[in-house]
Amino acid sequence: MNKSQPRRQAARWLVALVAAGLLWGAAQAQEPIPTIEILTTTESYDAIRYEGAFIIADAWRELGFDVVVRPQEFSTLLQRFYDEQDFDVTILGWSGRVERLDPQHFLATLDSRQAGLGANNPGGYANPAYDALFDLQSREFDADARRAYVQQMQELAAPDAPLVILFHRDEVVAYNATRWTDMVTMAGEGLYNEWTPLRATPLTNDRVLTIGSPQEPDNVNPLASTSVWGWKWMRMYYDKLVRLSPEVEPLPWAAETITAVDDVTIDVTLRAGMTFHDFTPVTAEDVKFSFEYPIANDYAYFRPFLSRIGRVEVTGPLSVRFHLTEPVASFITVTLSQIPILPMHIWSAIDNPADLNPDEIPTIGSGPFQFDRYDRGEYMRLTVYPMHFAADDIDIDAMEMIIFADSEGVFTAMQTGQIDMTAWRMEPGQIPLAEANADLVVVGVPDFGYFHMTWNLRRAPFDDVAVRRALTMATDRQRMVDVLLDGRGEVGSSVVAPVNAFWHNPFIERFDYDLEAARAALEAAGYTWNADGRIVAP
Amino acid sequence: MSRTYVLRRGLQAIGTLLVIVTILFFLFRLGLPDPTVALVTEGLSPEDRAVIRERFGLDRPLFEQYVIYLGNIVRGEFGTSFYYKAPVAGVVWEKFANTMVLMLVAIVIAYLLGIPLGAYLAWKRGTRTDTVGIVLGLMFRSAPMFWTGMLAVLLFGVALGWLPTSGMRTLPYEAATFFHKVFTLDFLRHLIMPATIIALFYLGSPLLIMRNTMLEVYGEDFIEMARAKGLRERDVLYRHAARNALLPVITQLAVTIGLAAGGQVVVEVVFSWPGLGREILQAVRTSDFPLAQATFMLMAVLVITMNFLADLLYGALDPRVKLQ
Repeated sequence: MNKSQPRRQAARWLVALVAAGLLWGAAQAQEPIPTIEILTTTESYDAIRYEGAFIIADAWRELGFDVVVRPQEFSTLLQRFYDEQDFDVTILGWSGRVERLDPQHFLATLDSRQAGLGANNPGGYANPAYDALFDLQSREFDADARRAYVQQMQELAAPDAPLVILFHRDEVVAYNATRWTDMVTMAGEGLYNEWTPLRATPLTNDRVLTIGSPQEPDNVNPLASTSVWGWKWMRMYYDKLVRLSPEVEPLPWAAETITAVDDVTIDVTLRAGMTFHDFTPVTAEDVKFSFEYPIANDYAYFRPFLSRIGRVEVTGPLSVRFHLTEPVASFITVTLSQIPILPMHIWSAIDNPADLNPDEIPTIGSGPFQFDRYDRGEYMRLTVYPMHFAADDIDIDAMEMIIFADSEGVFTAMQTGQIDMTAWRMEPGQIPLAEANADLVVVGVPDFGYFHMTWNLRRAPFDDVAVRRALTMATDRQRMVDVLLDGRGEVGSSVVAPVNAFWHNPFIERFDYDLEAARAALEAAGYTWNADGRIVAP
Repeated sequence: MSRTYVLRRGLQAIGTLLVIVTILFFLFRLGLPDPTVALVTEGLSPEDRAVIRERFGLDRPLFEQYVIYLGNIVRGEFGTSFYYKAPVAGVVWEKFANTMVLMLVAIVIAYLLGIPLGAYLAWKRGTRTDTVGIVLGLMFRSAPMFWTGMLAVLLFGVALGWLPTSGMRTLPYEAATFFHKVFTLDFLRHLIMPATIIALFYLGSPLLIMRNTMLEVYGEDFIEMARAKGLRERDVLYRHAARNALLPVITQLAVTIGLAAGGQVVVEVVFSWPGLGREILQAVRTSDFPLAQATFMLMAVLVITMNFLADLLYGALDPRVKLQ
């Protein structure tokens, strides 16, 4: 046996190994793309998102993808999507709260710095140019300049198909028109907004506006509530420096004037003569306290609004100056319209406000209504505060909320006349019944929140933009709006909704439903189909 | 029945409870999503949620949380609800009272009607009355309560307008205490529909059990004997047969009352009754561990207690049963 024999042997082995590897690779290439799992809500939680998932799955199957729909209990769905990022595709939504008319929150959902576990960009879209524009718009004080950035961001993201904005669902609500007139509707808020109680006019002798709701506050502690239902109620008896008008323009409210000295210095002068519901005057000290106290007590709910306030300086009995650590484009529209004015003389004595028992929570504010009663799970009531500057224009004596177990209970109460208006949207099946009822007026308001389908860009095949674009084209959103929403909604295109006209960019790529174009796009990107018709990656 | 028997059963009950409490603790923490996950939709960042988790004590090791939890239970403290930020005991007690007043009324009606009706059907066995009775009992037992409830709401609430469709009082009526809330005509009007729906549902059990046991008892010698003594058939039926047929019904009653604390969620939802059933559902959905643990523990205590009482009652009702 000569010396080179083992070496030749080794070379032969190597060749065999490489050949085997190539063959295996070739066989792999014929393997179709693994099953795609669509996570959605259960049918009982939301039939629309549940049905929508099946509409999507059917169309994708026609393209040769293997798709399963897996409904999840809602908290589990949130956990898998946000905290674990353990998903292929998830159908969820963002509600259109009024402060989200400012584009900051929705634009941030595509910021790569939000792609960590638990943050707002679970899909993991990452585009440095997008992030850079995000920073520019968030510091831009000039609305038109900011708008240019915001529109550019939408244009930039659309062709990447980072997610599919499925639709914006109209908020369809109703009120009893035999008893009330001058009701106010607001985008994203429907009838249960800040203005309806201030402007509603009774047509009968009953001057109490009765609202029916399937939801209630988690609690009414302004330093502990973490639900929008808490603040939708508390904002009526706590005042704010700014209220957003029904047209969603910032309106100086407890503030008489708001002046931007420069882009990090804002001067606010209070209205004279305001008092809390215990008749103590509202002063600049109270305002300073109200903006510092939540931060001092780690109140997470307001932190995004307050995090860039450096300090608040009292410059006179009724005037304060806000020093920001950096320019904040949304300071007046969002921060000043969110933070409630708390009476310092009551709260400053409380050390751990988040731990207060329900019966110890102070309810003294300076708003147009004052707290009267809260029976958890049943009933809440506010009465007009006659000393408030807006009180003379209010035509009701009190507003009350009756709490029901579900929207079916609310709807029955609308029919029997037990309540005057609904606080929350009606189910699709109830709307025609309400329209047939001569006593009721049905109002539909476009929403700027949206339902979305987000793919996990960290996983194949969604890491390939061609697949994302094709699957977006294979998502029949018009059918969802027509069939699932009965036409009461609008097909989505951008995280900034069309109703948010100032910020929305109507000229971005829209991906209309077209299965043939989707198939062609996949072919062009090198995808093939195996003998079973299943799609195979290039 | 000896004192040692009671003592032994008492110790057993405590042991059972400890096991249940432990299972509940780990089941909820390992099986349910993070309690702060829903706050994402309110716009809270991971850092903000970490602060809240720390406040809830969820940042500590699981075993440490368990020891704290056990210590609190021994002291009768059930903690603060994550969702309501209110002491659990207060939340549970109020909802528990609301649920029990509805459930007990319904159960009492069901058994007061079901037992004599069951005995009567046994007496009339094989006749058309018997058939109709059984079919009706089974029908109400199998009809889903959300359906019967909604039909009742539509008919008596919406169409006829006779009865209120939701809640337990006409608001804004304000009650100083629970008794003020319950002892009013208005409350009674609110109670009629949900209580009837639940009672009809429960009626089937005592009715059918009573009927079947009665048929068994009818074959016994002492019934022959009673008849031979010349007693009236009604006396034979209610005095001699029914008393002996009661035992299985008592067991059923005890179990039913024991489980009543959980309420009938669908009825509470259909009639917007502010009861514990809805609260339990909400607690599990929002991963409100302290509230969920307390409510399930309450149910366990009630079931254990009622079973114990049923055993004692057995001995009293039937001297042949000896408790050792």
